Parts: sequence; structure tokens; C-alpha cells
Amino acid sequence: MADVRTETNALDLIATSAAAAQSRRRNVRIRNIGIGIAGFLTLLLVWKAGVIVLKVPPYILPAPEQVFVALWSGIAVSPASPLGWYMPLWSTMSNALLGFVIGASLGLLLGSLMAEFRSVETALMPYAFALQSLPKVAIAPLIVIWCGFGDGSKVAMAALLAFFPMLVNCFAGIRAAEVERLELMKALAASRLETYYLVKLPSAAPYIFAGLDMGIVYALLGTIVAEFLGAQSGMGVAITKAQAVTDVAGVFGALVVLGVTGILLHLVVRRIERSVVHWANRGKH
Amino acid sequence: MSLATEAPGFAAPAVAAAARQHGARDPLIVVEGVVKIYSTVAGDSVLALDNIDLTVRDGEFVCLVGPSGCGKTTLLRLLAGLDTADAGTSSLAGKALNGPSPEVGVVFQQSNLLPWFTVLQNVMLPLRVGGSSRDAGKIAEIHKLLEIAGLKGFENKYPYELSGGMQQRAAIVRALARDPKLLLMDEPFGALDALTRERMNAELQRIWLASKKTVVLITHSIDEAIFLGDRVVVMSPRPGRIVRDLVVDVPRPRIAAETFGSPSHVALAREIRMLLE
Repeated sequence: MADVRTETNALDLIATSAAAAQSRRRNVRIRNIGIGIAGFLTLLLVWKAGVIVLKVPPYILPAPEQVFVALWSGIAVSPASPLGWYMPLWSTMSNALLGFVIGASLGLLLGSLMAEFRSVETALMPYAFALQSLPKVAIAPLIVIWCGFGDGSKVAMAALLAFFPMLVNCFAGIRAAEVERLELMKALAASRLETYYLVKLPSAAPYIFAGLDMGIVYALLGTIVAEFLGAQSGMGVAITKAQAVTDVAGVFGALVVLGVTGILLHLVVRRIERSVVHWANRGKH
Repeated sequence: MSLATEAPGFAAPAVAAAARQHGARDPLIVVEGVVKIYSTVAGDSVLALDNIDLTVRDGEFVCLVGPSGCGKTTLLRLLAGLDTADAGTSSLAGKALNGPSPEVGVVFQQSNLLPWFTVLQNVMLPLRVGGSSRDAGKIAEIHKLLEIAGLKGFENKYPYELSGGMQQRAAIVRALARDPKLLLMDEPFGALDALTRERMNAELQRIWLASKKTVVLITHSIDEAIFLGDRVVVMSPRPGRIVRDLVVDVPRPRIAAETFGSPSHVALAREIRMLLE
């Protein structure tokens, strides 16, 4: 009887300490959110105070509430309205995502081929280096000449910018596959293709996701740049239109929309990474 | 032990042990005059293995001991087909060994399980690579091996959810997946703590008695070698040569508490230690 009671007490203790740890974690999270909100409010206050004290005209730097009004006027409309953020954001996003898929796939394919075959690496590496060092945004005018002022240029720019981080990361990730794991496959007399998709590609997964994370934001950047150069729709067009009438609050509003979009895309990639690359950061073996 | 007698695919340990006592088994591995030379980055040549002759009979458990750098891992890599010899020949069941073979299973120093696969996917890897992952008979065999290795119920766990000892047992099951004739083990328990290691030695003996495999095991531990081996082969430092081939005449199944400290064990351990000094 006494034994049973001690056991129950021990279980209670474990449950209590687990609950305590959980509530500690919750407290830390609440505090971090609190710090975040306080920091943001401070930023708005400093901004507002700066605008008032330094008498900054609204066509240089609008006050925070003016930005909020501009932002809200684009949110509180029908999704089909040409005045809202929805239409240009959809245009930008769909082109950026299509370009991202094309660029990332090509990067994965070419990065894999370069990592697998020395001859492909030797042949392509100089070009990869040269193009990597080139500010790719500078190619945009050329792309517009080739693909016109429509969606083609935007997709092409997004693909071009998403391609390189993927190529480089995929190549580095495959080359970083552990020798012991490759020897295991060799001892099993595995084919090159089996070794690639059973060991090398999963080994490269953390690198590939880092490439995707960069690539998706770069794709957004590429699309916006193409839109600046003369397009009919998109967030880049919304920004240039607002700029043309010195609606600086409108420009800020568009930047906030783009910033939030970028953060959300990044979080989506991270979320997928955590469930796909579940073994990373869980001890080596 | 009872597991083994119930499993129809395996010989009862008593019978296997009797067969061992009577000898008269064919040689499975024959290594003759094997030489291996490594060239270093600096351009020097190092003689890693010098004229190695070794015969391992079918069903035998042979332990290789020797100081670091004596070439025992090199010898194992040659048998695994991961390296090629510069001279000499080696054969498995009469066929020349010059590349990886499905008749050979390898257990590495680290468990070397793939972290993105579950335990079951890991132990099925050799079948998947061999193109027989849908063979119902082989899958049943894998599940039987998992049970013998005490991994039943852990099939869908990931390696990082297992203890070091369980990971290494999974690695042994993986090495046995294709039902190889020969099991090569390179310090399989070197990364484990002393107590776990002793338990794993007993487990390995049990699995071996149940599966009738021929085993070549490398170890730094003299005690481990004497506990597990039918024979202990002692190698010299570079260039690697076989300096002594000792028979361990202790009946099976051996029990650690009885074997360690017994006069024959102590005498053998002393002999090996003197050879290694």
C-alpha cells in the first residue's frame, strides 16, 4: 500500500514538474510577444514625434496614421476593386510563385547534375560564378526586351533570381553528404540513382530549404523589379503609380503589404521545412 | 534462446553449437597473400597490409584485434568490397571477392542509420536497393529479425528516438536483411558505454547463435574478442600482419559473469595483451 502511494506521488511530481515547465515556456512566449508589441509602439511614437518636431512634409515622410489610412483604404475594398491591394498583390504573387517554381526546379536539377558529374561541374562552374557575381537585377532591361512588358518578363525575372540560391545550395548540400552514408550505399551495391535519392538528396534537404527560403523572397524581388520597368499590373505598378502622384503614404502602404507577404512566405517555407526535415537538430544519430 | 527455437528459419542453438564443436565445415572466406598500399596526401606510400593469409570457416565467429592503425579496418573494407587489394586474392564461398556483394552485410562503427528513415525503412534499405522490398517472405524475415533484436514495437520510430544500443541493434538487423553469408563488423560497440556494450555482446551472441552467420568482428577490446570469438586473430602494427591466430575453446552460449575471470579467459587475455605490447 505504501509502495503504491509513493508511486502515485512520484507520478504526481512528474506531472507537476511537466506542467510547471509548460507554464514557464508559456510565460516566456507571452513576455516575448509583449516586448515585440512594446518595441513596435515605441517605433511608431518616435516616428510620429520625429514628423511633428522636425516638421517633415507628408510628401517626404507621412505620419504613421497616414500610412495606416492608405493601407486600410486598400484593404477595406472589394477584392475585385482596382483600388485595393488584392488585384496587384495577386498579380505579383502568381508571377513570383510561378517563376519561383521554375527557377527553383532548374536550380535543383542543375545543382544536382553539377554535384553528381565532375564534367558538368567543370563545364558550368565558371558561368555559375560569373552570373552569381553579376547583380542580376541589371539583366532586367534585357529580359523585358526579350519577354515584353507582360507577365513573361516578371516570371522570367523571378525564375532567374530564385535559380541561383537553389543551384548553389543544392550543389553544396549534395557534396556535404556524409562519407559513412555513401559507403553504406556502396557496400549495398546501390546504383548511382538510388544513392542520389535515398542518401544525397535527403542529406541536402536542409541546404535545399535554405535555398528555397532565399529563393522565394528573391522571386518576389525579381517580379517587382520587372514591374518597375513597365507593366500593367502588380505591386511594383502600384508603387510607381503612387510615386507619380507623390502619394508617399501609398508607397509605404504597398511596402508594408510586400513586407508582410515576404514574412508570410518565409514562415510557410520554414513550416514545411520543419515537417519535412524533421530529423535536423535532433542529435546526430 | 526460446525465440530461436521457435523461429523455423533458424537452427536451434544447441544443434549449431554441436556442429561447431565437430568442425568439418568448409572455408567460407579465403584470403591469400593480400597486400594493400595507401598513398598519402604527401605522396608517400604506406604499406597497410603485408601478405595477409586468413581462412574463416562457414559459421565461425572470428575477432580481429590489434592496435590502432594495424590495418584491421583495411582488411574489413577489402572483404566488404569497399577497397581493392594491391596484390593477393580473397574469395567468398569459392567466388573471388572484388566488389560489394549481397552475400556480405556490414555493420559500421557508428550505427550509420539514415535519420530521415524510420527503423523499418532503415532495415529495409538493403532490400529496397536490391529491388526486393515487396518480397513478402523477406519482409517477414525482417520482422522476425527485428523481434530477435528486441526492436519489435519500434519499427516506426526514427533513429533519434532510440538509445545508442538500440540504434546499433537496428544496424545489425539491416546488415542481416539480405540474409548474407558473412557479417562484417567494425568495432560495432565502440561508441557505447561499458555496461551497454557488455549487454550488446550477449545480444550479438544470441543473434549469431540464432542466425548461423559467419562473423568477422574488429574490436579494440580483448575481453570482447574472447567473449565473442571462436577465434581471436591478433594483428601487428603497421605494416599489418597476422601475428597469432588463437582458438577460444569455451562452450556456448557464453555468459559474461562466468566467462570473464575464468582461468582460460585470463590466460588468453594475458597472451593477447603480451602480443599487443
